[in-house]
Amino acid sequence: MELETRREEGTLIAKAQSRVDGANAREFQEALEAAIDTSDRALLLDLEQLSYISSAGLRVILLTAKTLGKQDAKLAVCSLSDPIREIFEVSGFDKIIPIHPSPTEALAALKS
Amino acid sequence: MPRPAKILVVDDEPDLEPLMLQRMRRHIRAGRYEFLFAHNGVEALERLREDPGIDMVLSDINMPQMDGLTLLEQIPQVDPDIRSVIISAYGDMKNIRTAMNRGAFDFVTKPVDFEDLQVTIDRTLRHLAEWREALASRDKLVALQNELDVASKMQQSILPTEFPKGSSYQIFGSMEPARSVGGDFFDVMSLENGRIGLAVADVSDKGVPAALFMMSTRTLLKGAAIGNQDPGAVLREVNDLLHDDNEAAMFVTVLYAEYDPASGELRYANGGHNPPLLVHADGSSALLPLTDGIALGLVPDLQYKQESLTLAPGDAVVFYTDGVTEAMNIENDEFGTEGLRAIFAASPPSNWKEANSAIFDAVHAFAGDMPQSDDITCVTLWRRESEP
Repeated sequence: MELETRREEGTLIAKAQSRVDGANAREFQEALEAAIDTSDRALLLDLEQLSYISSAGLRVILLTAKTLGKQDAKLAVCSLSDPIREIFEVSGFDKIIPIHPSPTEALAALKS
Repeated sequence: MPRPAKILVVDDEPDLEPLMLQRMRRHIRAGRYEFLFAHNGVEALERLREDPGIDMVLSDINMPQMDGLTLLEQIPQVDPDIRSVIISAYGDMKNIRTAMNRGAFDFVTKPVDFEDLQVTIDRTLRHLAEWREALASRDKLVALQNELDVASKMQQSILPTEFPKGSSYQIFGSMEPARSVGGDFFDVMSLENGRIGLAVADVSDKGVPAALFMMSTRTLLKGAAIGNQDPGAVLREVNDLLHDDNEAAMFVTVLYAEYDPASGELRYANGGHNPPLLVHADGSSALLPLTDGIALGLVPDLQYKQESLTLAPGDAVVFYTDGVTEAMNIENDEFGTEGLRAIFAASPPSNWKEANSAIFDAVHAFAGDMPQSDDITCVTLWRRESEP
Protein backbone atom coordinates (compact mmCIF):
# COMPACT_ATOMS: atom_id res chain seq x y z
CA MET A 1 0.00 0.00 0.00
CA GLU A 2 1.28 3.41 -1.01
CA LEU A 3 1.83 5.69 1.97
CA GLU A 4 2.90 9.24 1.29
CA THR A 5 5.02 10.47 4.19
CA ARG A 6 6.92 13.57 5.25
CA ARG A 7 8.37 14.85 8.52
CA GLU A 8 7.82 18.14 10.28
CA GLU A 9 9.68 18.89 13.52
CA GLY A 10 9.82 15.31 14.76
CA THR A 11 6.32 14.46 13.61
CA LEU A 12 5.84 11.87 10.90
CA ILE A 13 2.91 12.81 8.68
CA ALA A 14 1.44 9.91 6.69
CA LYS A 15 -1.33 10.23 4.11
CA ALA A 16 -3.59 7.21 3.83
CA GLN A 17 -5.24 6.59 0.47
CA SER A 18 -8.56 5.20 -0.79
CA ARG A 19 -9.64 2.24 1.39
CA VAL A 20 -8.35 0.31 4.35
CA ASP A 21 -10.31 -2.89 4.90
CA GLY A 22 -9.74 -6.52 5.86
CA ALA A 23 -8.01 -7.18 2.53
CA ASN A 24 -5.22 -4.62 2.94
CA ALA A 25 -5.16 -3.84 6.68
CA ARG A 26 -1.98 -5.87 7.16
CA GLU A 27 -0.29 -4.01 4.30
CA PHE A 28 -1.36 -0.73 5.89
CA GLN A 29 0.15 -1.85 9.19
CA GLU A 30 3.42 -2.90 7.55
CA ALA A 31 3.65 0.37 5.62
CA LEU A 32 3.17 2.34 8.85
CA GLU A 33 5.70 0.21 10.75
CA ALA A 34 8.25 0.69 7.97
CA ALA A 35 7.70 4.46 7.93
CA ILE A 36 8.00 5.03 11.67
CA ASP A 37 11.47 5.90 12.92
CA THR A 38 12.49 5.47 16.56
CA SER A 39 13.27 9.19 16.68
CA ASP A 40 9.70 10.16 15.71
CA ARG A 41 7.90 11.95 18.53
CA ALA A 42 4.48 11.71 16.92
CA LEU A 43 2.58 10.24 14.00
CA LEU A 44 -0.10 12.28 12.30
CA LEU A 45 -2.36 10.26 9.99
CA ASP A 46 -3.84 12.53 7.36
CA LEU A 47 -7.07 10.79 6.31
CA GLU A 48 -8.26 13.38 3.82
CA GLN A 49 -7.97 10.98 0.89
CA LEU A 50 -9.30 7.95 2.74
CA SER A 51 -12.75 6.95 1.52
CA TYR A 52 -13.39 3.94 3.74
CA ILE A 53 -11.93 2.26 6.81
CA SER A 54 -13.17 -1.01 8.29
CA SER A 55 -12.80 -2.25 11.84
CA ALA A 56 -9.64 -4.08 10.75
CA GLY A 57 -8.22 -0.71 9.67
CA LEU A 58 -9.22 0.93 12.96
CA ARG A 59 -7.42 -1.87 14.75
CA VAL A 60 -4.22 -1.07 12.84
CA ILE A 61 -4.44 2.56 13.95
CA LEU A 62 -4.88 1.37 17.51
CA LEU A 63 -1.95 -1.07 17.32
CA THR A 64 0.20 1.70 15.87
CA ALA A 65 -0.79 4.01 18.73
CA LYS A 66 0.23 1.27 21.17
CA THR A 67 3.60 0.78 19.45
CA LEU A 68 4.20 4.53 19.45
CA GLY A 69 3.29 4.70 23.13
CA LYS A 70 6.21 2.40 23.88
CA GLN A 71 8.60 4.98 22.44
CA ASP A 72 6.71 7.79 24.21
CA ALA A 73 5.31 9.05 20.94
CA LYS A 74 1.75 10.19 20.22
CA LEU A 75 -0.69 9.47 17.44
CA ALA A 76 -3.37 11.75 16.03
CA VAL A 77 -5.54 11.84 12.93
CA CYS A 78 -6.71 14.79 10.87
CA SER A 79 -8.82 15.88 7.89
CA LEU A 80 -11.53 13.23 8.21
CA SER A 81 -14.25 13.20 5.57
CA ASP A 82 -17.81 12.87 6.84
CA PRO A 83 -18.11 9.09 6.27
CA ILE A 84 -14.77 8.45 8.01
CA ARG A 85 -15.73 10.74 10.89
CA GLU A 86 -18.97 8.80 11.25
CA ILE A 87 -17.06 5.49 11.47
CA PHE A 88 -14.85 6.99 14.21
CA GLU A 89 -17.88 8.29 16.10
CA VAL A 90 -20.01 5.16 15.89
CA SER A 91 -17.17 2.89 17.04
CA GLY A 92 -16.21 5.30 19.83
CA PHE A 93 -12.70 5.72 18.39
CA ASP A 94 -13.18 9.50 18.49
CA LYS A 95 -12.85 9.14 22.26
CA ILE A 96 -9.57 7.19 22.06
CA ILE A 97 -7.74 8.83 19.14
CA PRO A 98 -7.37 12.64 18.98
CA ILE A 99 -9.04 14.03 15.85
CA HIS A 100 -8.11 17.40 14.33
CA PRO A 101 -9.69 19.33 11.45
CA SER A 102 -6.42 20.00 9.58
CA PRO A 103 -2.69 19.14 9.64
CA THR A 104 -1.85 22.64 10.92
CA GLU A 105 -4.12 22.33 13.90
CA ALA A 106 -2.98 18.77 14.54
CA LEU A 107 0.70 19.76 14.51
CA ALA A 108 0.03 22.63 16.91
CA ALA A 109 -1.82 20.29 19.27
CA LEU A 110 0.89 17.61 19.05
CA LYS A 111 3.58 20.17 19.87
CA SER A 112 1.94 21.30 23.10
CA MET B 1 21.49 -39.51 10.66
CA PRO B 2 19.05 -39.99 7.79
CA ARG B 3 18.61 -43.50 6.49
CA PRO B 4 20.46 -44.43 3.28
CA ALA B 5 18.55 -43.91 0.04
CA LYS B 6 17.32 -47.28 -1.25
CA ILE B 7 18.06 -47.73 -4.94
CA LEU B 8 16.79 -50.70 -6.94
CA VAL B 9 19.07 -51.52 -9.88
CA VAL B 10 17.40 -53.54 -12.65
CA ASP B 11 19.65 -55.14 -15.31
CA ASP B 12 19.98 -58.60 -16.82
CA GLU B 13 23.76 -58.07 -17.09
CA PRO B 14 25.27 -60.06 -14.13
CA ASP B 15 28.42 -57.91 -14.16
CA LEU B 16 26.62 -54.74 -13.19
CA GLU B 17 25.96 -55.77 -9.58
CA PRO B 18 29.62 -56.21 -8.45
CA LEU B 19 30.65 -53.20 -10.51
CA MET B 20 28.04 -50.94 -8.94
CA LEU B 21 28.89 -52.11 -5.41
CA GLN B 22 32.55 -51.56 -6.09
CA ARG B 23 32.27 -48.12 -7.68
CA MET B 24 29.76 -46.84 -5.15
CA ARG B 25 31.45 -48.43 -2.14
CA ARG B 26 32.38 -45.14 -0.46
CA HIS B 27 28.78 -43.92 -0.61
CA ILE B 28 27.55 -47.28 0.63
CA ARG B 29 29.99 -47.27 3.51
CA ALA B 30 29.10 -43.66 4.35
CA GLY B 31 25.49 -44.81 4.67
CA ARG B 32 24.26 -42.65 1.80
CA TYR B 33 23.11 -45.36 -0.62
CA GLU B 34 21.81 -48.86 -0.26
CA PHE B 35 21.52 -50.98 -3.42
CA LEU B 36 19.07 -53.77 -4.21
CA PHE B 37 19.21 -55.74 -7.46
CA ALA B 38 16.75 -57.34 -9.86
CA HIS B 39 17.37 -58.93 -13.24
CA ASN B 40 14.23 -58.03 -15.14
CA GLY B 41 11.01 -56.05 -14.83
CA VAL B 42 9.02 -58.84 -13.20
CA GLU B 43 11.61 -59.33 -10.48
CA ALA B 44 11.83 -55.56 -10.03
CA LEU B 45 8.10 -55.26 -9.39
CA GLU B 46 8.36 -58.10 -6.84
CA ARG B 47 11.16 -56.25 -5.00
CA LEU B 48 9.12 -53.04 -5.05
CA ARG B 49 6.09 -54.79 -3.59
CA GLU B 50 8.17 -56.46 -0.89
CA ASP B 51 10.00 -53.32 0.15
CA PRO B 52 7.99 -50.10 0.34
CA GLY B 53 11.14 -48.25 1.42
CA ILE B 54 12.65 -48.16 -2.09
CA ASP B 55 13.18 -44.55 -3.18
CA MET B 56 14.32 -44.87 -6.78
CA VAL B 57 14.76 -47.34 -9.62
CA LEU B 58 17.72 -47.44 -11.99
CA SER B 59 16.75 -49.67 -14.90
CA ASP B 60 18.13 -51.01 -18.16
CA ILE B 61 15.79 -51.03 -21.16
CA ASN B 62 16.38 -54.35 -22.92
CA MET B 63 15.71 -57.26 -20.56
CA PRO B 64 13.98 -60.66 -20.76
CA GLN B 65 10.44 -61.25 -19.39
CA MET B 66 9.67 -57.57 -18.86
CA ASP B 67 11.68 -54.77 -20.39
CA GLY B 68 12.48 -51.41 -18.79
CA LEU B 69 9.86 -49.46 -20.77
CA THR B 70 7.07 -51.77 -19.61
CA LEU B 71 8.43 -51.62 -16.07
CA LEU B 72 8.19 -47.82 -16.19
CA GLU B 73 4.47 -48.10 -16.88
CA GLN B 74 3.96 -50.53 -13.98
CA ILE B 75 5.91 -48.73 -11.23
CA PRO B 76 3.32 -46.00 -10.49
CA GLN B 77 0.76 -48.70 -9.71
CA VAL B 78 3.02 -49.93 -6.91
CA ASP B 79 4.05 -46.50 -5.69
CA PRO B 80 3.48 -43.28 -7.66
CA ASP B 81 6.17 -41.45 -5.70
CA ILE B 82 9.09 -43.66 -6.82
CA ARG B 83 11.41 -41.93 -9.30
CA SER B 84 13.07 -43.88 -12.13
CA VAL B 85 16.28 -43.34 -14.08
CA ILE B 86 16.80 -45.29 -17.31
CA ILE B 87 20.08 -46.72 -18.58
CA SER B 88 20.04 -46.73 -22.37
CA ALA B 89 22.42 -47.41 -25.22
CA TYR B 90 24.31 -44.31 -26.30
CA GLY B 91 22.35 -42.38 -28.93
CA ASP B 92 19.19 -44.49 -28.61
CA MET B 93 16.98 -41.40 -28.67
CA LYS B 94 13.84 -43.31 -29.63
CA ASN B 95 13.86 -45.42 -26.46
CA ILE B 96 15.02 -42.49 -24.32
CA ARG B 97 12.09 -40.38 -25.55
CA THR B 98 9.65 -43.24 -24.90
CA ALA B 99 11.08 -43.66 -21.40
CA MET B 100 10.79 -39.95 -20.63
CA ASN B 101 7.23 -39.90 -21.93
CA ARG B 102 6.42 -42.80 -19.65
CA GLY B 103 7.54 -40.85 -16.64
CA ALA B 104 11.26 -41.54 -16.28
CA PHE B 105 12.89 -38.77 -14.26
CA ASP B 106 16.24 -38.89 -16.10
CA PHE B 107 18.53 -41.19 -18.10
CA VAL B 108 22.18 -42.21 -18.29
CA THR B 109 23.90 -43.90 -21.21
CA LYS B 110 26.10 -46.94 -21.59
CA PRO B 111 28.90 -47.41 -20.93
CA VAL B 112 27.94 -46.04 -17.53
CA ASP B 113 30.04 -43.10 -16.35
CA PHE B 114 29.80 -43.64 -12.59
CA GLU B 115 30.61 -40.06 -11.67
CA ASP B 116 27.80 -38.85 -13.88
CA LEU B 117 25.55 -41.57 -12.47
CA GLN B 118 26.25 -40.38 -8.95
CA VAL B 119 25.31 -36.80 -9.88
CA THR B 120 22.13 -38.12 -11.51
CA ILE B 121 21.24 -40.21 -8.43
CA ASP B 122 21.76 -37.26 -6.10
CA ARG B 123 19.70 -34.96 -8.29
CA THR B 124 16.90 -37.53 -8.37
CA LEU B 125 17.01 -37.96 -4.59
CA ARG B 126 16.96 -34.19 -4.04
CA HIS B 127 13.93 -33.89 -6.26
CA LEU B 128 12.28 -36.73 -4.36
CA ALA B 129 12.93 -35.01 -1.01
CA GLU B 130 11.38 -31.78 -2.29
CA TRP B 131 8.45 -33.66 -3.75
CA ARG B 132 7.78 -35.39 -0.42
CA GLU B 133 8.02 -32.09 1.42
CA ALA B 134 5.50 -30.54 -0.96
CA LEU B 135 3.16 -33.49 -0.41
CA ALA B 136 3.47 -33.10 3.36
CA SER B 137 2.71 -29.37 3.10
CA ARG B 138 -0.33 -30.11 1.00
CA ASP B 139 -1.56 -32.62 3.57
CA LYS B 140 -1.08 -30.07 6.32
CA LEU B 141 -3.00 -27.51 4.30
CA VAL B 142 -5.84 -29.95 3.76
CA ALA B 143 -5.88 -30.69 7.50
CA LEU B 144 -5.94 -26.97 8.28
CA GLN B 145 -8.76 -26.41 5.82
CA ASN B 146 -10.71 -29.21 7.51
CA GLU B 147 -10.17 -27.57 10.88
CA LEU B 148 -11.34 -24.23 9.49
CA ASP B 149 -14.47 -25.94 8.21
CA VAL B 150 -15.05 -27.36 11.69
CA ALA B 151 -14.51 -23.90 13.22
CA SER B 152 -16.96 -22.44 10.74
CA LYS B 153 -19.57 -25.08 11.58
CA MET B 154 -19.04 -24.45 15.31
CA GLN B 155 -19.52 -20.74 14.77
CA GLN B 156 -22.72 -21.29 12.85
CA SER B 157 -23.95 -23.79 15.42
CA ILE B 158 -23.76 -21.33 18.32
CA LEU B 159 -26.08 -18.90 16.54
CA PRO B 160 -29.67 -19.24 17.64
CA THR B 161 -32.05 -20.81 15.15
CA GLU B 162 -35.03 -20.92 17.48
CA PHE B 163 -36.27 -17.66 18.90
CA PRO B 164 -38.33 -16.85 21.99
CA LYS B 165 -41.97 -16.71 21.02
CA GLY B 166 -44.68 -14.61 22.58
CA SER B 167 -48.18 -13.58 21.63
CA SER B 168 -47.16 -9.92 21.55
CA TYR B 169 -43.89 -10.00 19.63
CA GLN B 170 -41.72 -11.77 17.04
CA ILE B 171 -37.93 -12.09 16.84
CA PHE B 172 -35.84 -13.34 13.92
CA GLY B 173 -32.17 -13.26 13.19
CA SER B 174 -29.56 -14.65 10.83
CA MET B 175 -25.97 -14.23 9.75
CA GLU B 176 -24.19 -14.84 6.46
CA PRO B 177 -20.40 -15.15 6.86
CA ALA B 178 -18.18 -13.66 4.16
CA ARG B 179 -15.33 -16.10 4.78
CA SER B 180 -15.26 -19.58 6.22
CA VAL B 181 -14.84 -18.13 9.69
CA GLY B 182 -16.22 -14.71 10.43
CA GLY B 183 -16.32 -12.03 13.09
CA ASP B 184 -20.06 -11.34 13.38
CA PHE B 185 -22.47 -12.93 15.77
CA PHE B 186 -25.84 -12.40 17.35
CA ASP B 187 -27.63 -13.87 20.31
CA VAL B 188 -31.15 -13.93 21.66
CA MET B 189 -31.59 -14.94 25.30
CA SER B 190 -34.60 -15.56 27.52
CA LEU B 191 -33.95 -13.76 30.80
CA GLU B 192 -35.74 -13.46 34.14
CA ASN B 193 -39.28 -12.12 34.34
CA GLY B 194 -39.96 -12.77 30.66
CA ARG B 195 -37.41 -10.24 29.49
CA ILE B 196 -35.42 -10.97 26.35
CA GLY B 197 -31.77 -10.13 25.79
CA LEU B 198 -30.68 -9.35 22.21
CA ALA B 199 -27.10 -8.88 21.08
CA VAL B 200 -25.54 -8.10 17.72
CA ALA B 201 -21.76 -7.87 17.52
CA ASP B 202 -18.92 -7.45 15.06
CA VAL B 203 -15.30 -8.36 15.89
CA SER B 204 -12.53 -6.30 14.29
CA ASP B 205 -10.97 -8.22 11.44
CA LYS B 206 -11.89 -11.69 10.17
CA GLY B 207 -10.39 -15.15 10.22
CA VAL B 208 -9.32 -17.43 13.03
CA PRO B 209 -8.18 -14.81 15.63
CA ALA B 210 -11.44 -12.91 15.17
CA ALA B 211 -13.39 -16.15 15.51
CA LEU B 212 -11.71 -16.98 18.82
CA PHE B 213 -12.34 -13.46 20.12
CA MET B 214 -15.93 -13.75 19.00
CA MET B 215 -16.42 -17.04 20.84
CA SER B 216 -15.16 -15.60 24.12
CA THR B 217 -17.21 -12.42 23.67
CA ARG B 218 -20.33 -14.46 23.15
CA THR B 219 -19.71 -16.54 26.29
CA LEU B 220 -18.89 -13.48 28.42
CA LEU B 221 -21.97 -11.68 27.11
CA LYS B 222 -24.26 -14.57 27.99
CA GLY B 223 -22.86 -14.68 31.52
CA ALA B 224 -23.10 -10.93 31.97
CA ALA B 225 -26.66 -10.79 30.60
CA ILE B 226 -27.83 -13.32 33.18
CA GLY B 227 -26.00 -11.60 36.05
CA ASN B 228 -26.97 -7.99 35.39
CA GLN B 229 -30.19 -6.02 35.17
CA ASP B 230 -28.97 -3.17 32.96
CA PRO B 231 -27.62 -3.28 29.39
CA GLY B 232 -24.99 -0.69 30.34
CA ALA B 233 -23.73 -2.89 33.18
CA VAL B 234 -23.62 -5.91 30.84
CA LEU B 235 -21.35 -4.08 28.39
CA ARG B 236 -19.21 -2.75 31.21
CA GLU B 237 -18.55 -6.23 32.56
CA VAL B 238 -17.79 -7.73 29.16
CA ASN B 239 -15.53 -4.80 28.26
CA ASP B 240 -13.41 -5.20 31.39
CA LEU B 241 -13.06 -8.96 30.92
CA LEU B 242 -12.12 -8.59 27.25
CA HIS B 243 -9.62 -5.89 28.00
CA ASP B 244 -7.55 -8.15 30.27
CA ASP B 245 -4.81 -9.87 28.24
CA ASN B 246 -5.83 -8.20 24.99
CA GLU B 247 -2.32 -7.63 23.62
CA ALA B 248 -3.47 -8.01 20.03
CA ALA B 249 -5.76 -4.96 20.36
CA MET B 250 -8.75 -6.87 19.07
CA PHE B 251 -12.06 -5.24 19.74
CA VAL B 252 -15.72 -5.95 19.25
CA THR B 253 -18.60 -3.59 18.66
CA VAL B 254 -21.71 -4.75 20.52
CA LEU B 255 -25.28 -3.57 20.58
CA TYR B 256 -26.96 -5.14 23.58
CA ALA B 257 -30.65 -4.63 24.29
CA GLU B 258 -33.24 -5.98 26.69
CA TYR B 259 -36.86 -6.11 25.69
CA ASP B 260 -39.74 -6.42 28.10
CA PRO B 261 -42.71 -7.87 26.19
CA ALA B 262 -45.10 -6.96 29.01
CA SER B 263 -44.53 -3.22 28.68
CA GLY B 264 -42.92 -2.95 25.23
CA GLU B 265 -39.94 -1.22 26.80
CA LEU B 266 -36.59 -1.66 25.05
CA ARG B 267 -33.46 -0.66 26.90
CA TYR B 268 -30.14 -0.74 25.08
CA ALA B 269 -26.49 0.17 25.36
CA ASN B 270 -24.28 0.64 22.35
CA GLY B 271 -20.59 -0.28 22.50
CA GLY B 272 -19.33 1.28 19.27
CA HIS B 273 -21.88 -0.50 17.11
CA ASN B 274 -24.12 0.68 14.28
CA PRO B 275 -27.27 2.28 15.66
CA PRO B 276 -30.38 0.08 15.36
CA LEU B 277 -33.23 1.21 13.14
CA LEU B 278 -36.69 1.78 14.60
CA VAL B 279 -39.37 1.10 11.99
CA HIS B 280 -42.96 2.22 12.52
CA ALA B 281 -46.03 0.45 11.22
CA ASP B 282 -46.40 3.01 8.40
CA GLY B 283 -42.91 2.26 7.10
CA SER B 284 -41.29 5.45 8.43
CA SER B 285 -38.11 4.86 10.37
CA ALA B 286 -35.39 6.47 12.49
CA LEU B 287 -31.98 5.43 13.78
CA LEU B 288 -31.86 5.02 17.55
CA PRO B 289 -29.50 7.52 19.18
CA LEU B 290 -25.97 6.39 19.98
CA THR B 291 -25.10 6.03 23.64
CA ASP B 292 -21.49 7.31 23.35
CA GLY B 293 -20.08 3.86 23.96
CA ILE B 294 -16.63 2.73 22.84
CA ALA B 295 -16.06 -0.64 21.14
CA LEU B 296 -15.37 -3.35 23.74
CA GLY B 297 -11.90 -4.59 24.67
CA LEU B 298 -10.02 -1.32 24.15
CA VAL B 299 -10.25 0.82 27.28
CA PRO B 300 -10.85 -0.57 30.78
CA ASP B 301 -13.20 0.76 33.48
CA LEU B 302 -15.65 2.39 31.09
CA GLN B 303 -19.19 3.28 32.05
CA TYR B 304 -21.64 2.42 29.30
CA LYS B 305 -24.69 4.64 29.15
CA GLN B 306 -28.02 3.20 28.14
CA GLU B 307 -31.12 4.52 26.46
CA SER B 308 -34.66 3.31 26.61
CA LEU B 309 -37.77 3.59 24.46
CA THR B 310 -41.17 1.98 24.41
CA LEU B 311 -42.23 0.26 21.23
CA ALA B 312 -45.71 1.14 20.09
CA PRO B 313 -47.76 -1.77 18.76
CA GLY B 314 -46.61 -2.29 15.17
CA ASP B 315 -43.12 -0.89 15.79
CA ALA B 316 -40.08 -2.96 14.93
CA VAL B 317 -36.37 -2.59 15.64
CA VAL B 318 -33.74 -3.78 13.18
CA PHE B 319 -30.34 -4.65 14.67
CA TYR B 320 -27.62 -5.17 12.09
CA THR B 321 -23.88 -5.13 11.46
CA ASP B 322 -21.96 -2.97 8.99
CA GLY B 323 -22.02 -5.87 6.51
CA VAL B 324 -25.53 -4.60 5.73
CA THR B 325 -24.91 -0.86 5.49
CA GLU B 326 -21.40 -1.05 4.02
CA ALA B 327 -22.26 -3.56 1.30
CA MET B 328 -20.97 -2.08 -1.96
CA ASN B 329 -22.23 -2.22 -5.52
CA ILE B 330 -20.17 -2.18 -8.69
CA GLU B 331 -20.08 1.65 -8.63
CA ASN B 332 -18.56 1.59 -5.13
CA ASP B 333 -21.70 3.05 -3.58
CA GLU B 334 -22.64 1.82 -0.12
CA PHE B 335 -26.03 0.30 0.65
CA GLY B 336 -26.12 2.60 3.67
CA THR B 337 -28.80 3.13 6.25
CA GLU B 338 -30.74 4.81 3.41
CA GLY B 339 -30.86 1.46 1.61
CA LEU B 340 -32.11 -0.19 4.76
CA ARG B 341 -34.78 2.43 5.38
CA ALA B 342 -35.92 2.32 1.77
CA ILE B 343 -36.92 -1.35 2.16
CA PHE B 344 -39.55 -0.43 4.74
CA ALA B 345 -40.60 2.90 3.28
CA ALA B 346 -41.60 1.16 0.05
CA SER B 347 -43.75 -1.48 1.69
CA PRO B 348 -44.23 -1.62 5.45
CA PRO B 349 -43.90 -5.30 6.33
CA SER B 350 -46.74 -7.19 7.89
CA ASN B 351 -44.67 -10.31 8.40
CA TRP B 352 -41.32 -9.71 10.08
CA LYS B 353 -39.90 -13.13 9.40
CA GLU B 354 -40.19 -12.29 5.73
CA ALA B 355 -38.92 -8.78 6.40
CA ASN B 356 -35.73 -10.22 7.88
CA SER B 357 -35.00 -12.20 4.74
CA ALA B 358 -36.10 -9.24 2.60
CA ILE B 359 -33.20 -7.28 4.13
CA PHE B 360 -30.73 -9.94 3.00
CA ASP B 361 -32.35 -10.07 -0.44
CA ALA B 362 -32.11 -6.30 -0.79
CA VAL B 363 -28.42 -6.29 0.18
CA HIS B 364 -27.65 -9.08 -2.32
CA ALA B 365 -29.63 -7.37 -5.07
CA PHE B 366 -27.78 -4.12 -4.41
CA ALA B 367 -24.32 -5.72 -4.34
CA GLY B 368 -24.99 -7.71 -7.53
CA ASP B 369 -21.84 -9.53 -8.61
CA MET B 370 -19.58 -7.73 -6.14
CA PRO B 371 -18.06 -10.29 -3.75
CA GLN B 372 -19.35 -10.13 -0.19
CA SER B 373 -16.52 -8.54 1.78
CA ASP B 374 -18.02 -8.64 5.27
CA ASP B 375 -20.30 -10.83 7.34
CA ILE B 376 -23.93 -9.79 7.15
CA THR B 377 -25.99 -10.05 10.32
CA CYS B 378 -29.51 -8.90 10.95
CA VAL B 379 -31.87 -9.38 13.88
CA THR B 380 -35.40 -7.97 13.97
CA LEU B 381 -37.72 -7.49 16.91
CA TRP B 382 -41.36 -6.68 16.17
CA ARG B 383 -44.10 -5.71 18.59
CA ARG B 384 -47.28 -7.03 17.07
CA GLU B 385 -49.96 -4.55 16.17
CA SER B 386 -52.58 -6.53 18.03
CA GLU B 387 -52.39 -9.86 19.77
CA PRO B 388 -53.70 -12.62 17.54
